[in-house]
Amino acid sequence: MGDLSGYGGDALKSLKEAGAAIGDVLEAKTPWGEVTGTLVPRYLYGDGDHLVLKLRSGYNVGLRVSGLKGVRVVAKGEKPSFSPPAPPKPAKGLPRVLIIGTGGTIASRIDYRTGAVGPAITAAELYSLVPELSGIAQVHPEIMFDIFSENITPKHWSRLARRVAKAVKEGFDGVVVAHGTDTLGYTAAALSFALAGVPVPVVLVGAQRSSDRPSSDSSLNLIAAVSVAGTARFSGVYVAMHLGESDDKIAFHRGTRVRKNHTSRRDAFVSVDVPLAAVWGRSGLEYVSEGLPARGGAFRPRPRFDGRAALIKFYPSMPAGAIRAARRAGAKALVIEGTGLGHVSKELTKELAAFVKAGGLACMTSQCIEGRVNLNVYDTGRDLIHAGVLPLDDMLSETALAKAMWVIGTGASGARARELMSANVAGETTPRTFPS
Amino acid sequence: MGGEDGLLVGLEIHQQLACSTKLFCACPPAKSEEFPYHFERRLRPAQSETGRFDPAAVFEFAKGRSNMYFWNPESSCLVEADEEPPHPISKEALEASMLAAATIDSNLVDEVHVMRKIVIDGSNTGGFQRTAVVGLGGSFSIDGSRVGVQSVTLEEDAARILGEDAASRRFALDRMGVALVEVALEPVKGDPEFVGRVALHLGRALRSTGRVARGLGTIRQDLNVSLSGGAVVEVKGVQKLNLLPKVVEYEGKRQRALVQVAARLKESGVRRVRCRTGDVTAVFARTSSAALRRPLGVGGRVGCIAAEGLGGLLGWEPEPGMRLGKEIAEVARANSLGGVIHSDEFARQGVAESEASELRKEMRCGEGDGLVLVAGPQEVVERVIPLLMSRLEGAVKGVPAETRAATDAGETRYMRPRAGSQRMYPETDIPTIKVAEGLWKKVLDQMPEDWSTLVGRLKGKYSLSADLALKVYDSGDPEEFERLAHSLRLEPSFIASALVDLPVRLAREEVPERGYSPQVIVEALKAVDAGRVAKEAVPAILGVVGRRGVSVSEAIGELGLVALDETQVAATVDRIVGAEANLIQEKGEGAFSQLMGEAMRELRGKADGATVARVLRQRLDAALGKTSRAGGDQPS
Repeated sequence: MGDLSGYGGDALKSLKEAGAAIGDVLEAKTPWGEVTGTLVPRYLYGDGDHLVLKLRSGYNVGLRVSGLKGVRVVAKGEKPSFSPPAPPKPAKGLPRVLIIGTGGTIASRIDYRTGAVGPAITAAELYSLVPELSGIAQVHPEIMFDIFSENITPKHWSRLARRVAKAVKEGFDGVVVAHGTDTLGYTAAALSFALAGVPVPVVLVGAQRSSDRPSSDSSLNLIAAVSVAGTARFSGVYVAMHLGESDDKIAFHRGTRVRKNHTSRRDAFVSVDVPLAAVWGRSGLEYVSEGLPARGGAFRPRPRFDGRAALIKFYPSMPAGAIRAARRAGAKALVIEGTGLGHVSKELTKELAAFVKAGGLACMTSQCIEGRVNLNVYDTGRDLIHAGVLPLDDMLSETALAKAMWVIGTGASGARARELMSANVAGETTPRTFPS
Repeated sequence: MGGEDGLLVGLEIHQQLACSTKLFCACPPAKSEEFPYHFERRLRPAQSETGRFDPAAVFEFAKGRSNMYFWNPESSCLVEADEEPPHPISKEALEASMLAAATIDSNLVDEVHVMRKIVIDGSNTGGFQRTAVVGLGGSFSIDGSRVGVQSVTLEEDAARILGEDAASRRFALDRMGVALVEVALEPVKGDPEFVGRVALHLGRALRSTGRVARGLGTIRQDLNVSLSGGAVVEVKGVQKLNLLPKVVEYEGKRQRALVQVAARLKESGVRRVRCRTGDVTAVFARTSSAALRRPLGVGGRVGCIAAEGLGGLLGWEPEPGMRLGKEIAEVARANSLGGVIHSDEFARQGVAESEASELRKEMRCGEGDGLVLVAGPQEVVERVIPLLMSRLEGAVKGVPAETRAATDAGETRYMRPRAGSQRMYPETDIPTIKVAEGLWKKVLDQMPEDWSTLVGRLKGKYSLSADLALKVYDSGDPEEFERLAHSLRLEPSFIASALVDLPVRLAREEVPERGYSPQVIVEALKAVDAGRVAKEAVPAILGVVGRRGVSVSEAIGELGLVALDETQVAATVDRIVGAEANLIQEKGEGAFSQLMGEAMRELRGKADGATVARVLRQRLDAALGKTSRAGGDQPS
């Protein structure tokens, strides 16, 4: 019996009776005539009442099985298989860049199981899709994970950090990490801590519009990422995404200061309260911020993370039980996203005091996104300080969470953890903010 | 003529639907004049589910052009900019497309799957058009011939092209995403006149649903033309219905010519056209050919293709104006390269005989081979030569499968290779739509009266001529005509003519459009009905409304039009008859037309012509001593 992935119910029954398999050409007898087409897989949540034929014109149509007078196989076919052209050979003498694939939109095609866009393309196929890369760098594609970015955990961060550290030893001139955009900011922050002092550029790159479409931003983002990873004079962890709606400039954001601020636009990523690290145009880097670390130097990775930290957004009427629940779940560190300058209700302040007393690390950021917290201005803030809550200045909440996981991952606790959490390890806080 | 030699034409009609929003977002389908925002994009060929690339897509990408998109928030949002996933499909449009399918007896599918059709010429920001089959099969009859329906699809319209040059294309996003219904017909015999009638019938049937948009640019025809057994040529964008027969005729001639070239090759034993290429820039270092000097003057190169067995066939015209050489030039021009010269036109293009013979020596070929010179910037020459080679090699097969564009003159021009079957894949952002029984019934309840029945009824019930009845139907609002015919005490044919003929006449007289909007015409008709003005005054009133931007009442005032009653008409006529006693004496009955002319000069627009004539006839008869034929007024 051939493959009938996705089909169920009556549709599966009648296809089995006909001896049909995905890819076969079928003729379905409808009350108004015969419809001939190739049987395509049914998406995961489709009902069991219809079969889907791809007509010769390329269109898919669904036909209700109960209305059919018969289905027969006209010709056996093959299940559509993926056979891309061979990737081009990179030129000798160009910088060597490791491209790590993790899944996500920059590496996606159609997923027939769900009818949605899913991770499917290997990094090698990605490379064949963007032949320009062969003129920029010797690219070494490598797939580490094939998962949606929302399924990335601190364990993946650790593996990524170790792989990058190894790449540095192997003599790669730079590393590009292709990553889904949803949690790209978190991973960028995490790698910034784990790889603090990394002597080469490490560029995280994604795409907001799926790479199966001709208009995808994936190729240009990748070209810019590879170009900068291979040739830039600076080092450190960055995120490379479109600067605006146009396919002309790519913004490079510091890994600890970047945030996804739009659900779908190409320029969803923004540097919060700091200037861009760099801007890339078609002829190379057009702008580089002052103060970026130069390439080279000694480097000791600290790739361990401990996932037992939680990010909690305070809201009016939030019950104290929310903090207790996090504690019961084993949280060793909490990042509270407070209101305004960094506030929570009286009830929660008490609960946080208990958490700190029990040895937990409690930190405060602001849900305002822009600006810095200050717990000295109002009584509420002073109460929080008294309760032992650590204000994180202008650190972004997502960055603070990644950092907390990294801090407890180093084994630090108590005063040492507070000290490390407050220290500026990878540009996560800035001493001065300027009018925009 | 067409048809006898197996010319087949498959017609595709694209008709915009009248909906309150676009197909996949909440934007209104409005036309914008100004575009405060723009962005630039480059499209890449997308990989299909099998990992391969479409030839048409690769062709467009190789040109390296960028696309500039201009937009206005009044007509577009992030969805058109491909910056936001599509919203769920418009139910209004889905219903309208299903109604269109049912109207032409096509069969509704049970589950609608929205697909992405790769279109990489920049006319869609995503690089694909969203399209879905709603109806399959079915047929209708025209003058006794059955015409089969292939499919009825619901799709989004493309962006509107504003202009292009070698570096970029400029598009407006206002039209993008507007719901369209596309009806693809089974091929019919390629009789140009019959194809025209099929298109006319289909357009009328779609309009009968009352759910389609009207006006310029809301309907567009594509043609699939082939000689029996030959490759199918897709001709895109026939905007005007009256061009259809011309395009069919032109394309038939072109394809027959190419078949004759292939036959000639076969006769002379050429089974394969082998091509060699070379850089021959040096041969033309001191050329006097302007076509070559121009590109050479700016550092360009001259490439050459030697095509075995094509000597004499490049310039041969088996049908008037149709040459293989012209085909080659069109392929080059579609790639922004103008400088192509073939060996059958060397003399005309100023290529010296010495250059030609040196060229033949250089390319090691004889008189039986054809030569094509390609001059331009090196990278363009290198890109275009393989395309021209494959076109020359295809000469043995006759007609190549390609996509062509219809011109305003009713001819066709090469656009790009025909897209492969891989250009369609599922639009995964839109869930499939089950056509539930309830939706089916709702659509069937809205089934319109068949258009030809409706035209027949207009003709019979309102004593309209066949021509006028059809025009009323084609005007798009026969209901409005019927309402007016019932509510006004005017002759239906006068109402019909005011509604459908007057706008054409006023447009020709360059009266601004506001002068003949349906509302203005109706208001003017009401003034006639109320006896305020005579019906002869309507064109003048509309003219003033249009030119001066005033209301109908104001126009009547400005023209000094006050409807006179019969006593007032008689007073004027009496004065004229009195003053022209000598003329009447002299010409007798023969004076009528001159007197009528004088009377109408004074009374036009103020009195009905028939009334003036009747009164004048009475007065003239009285003056000549006859008894009045009319029973009313007695001579005083």
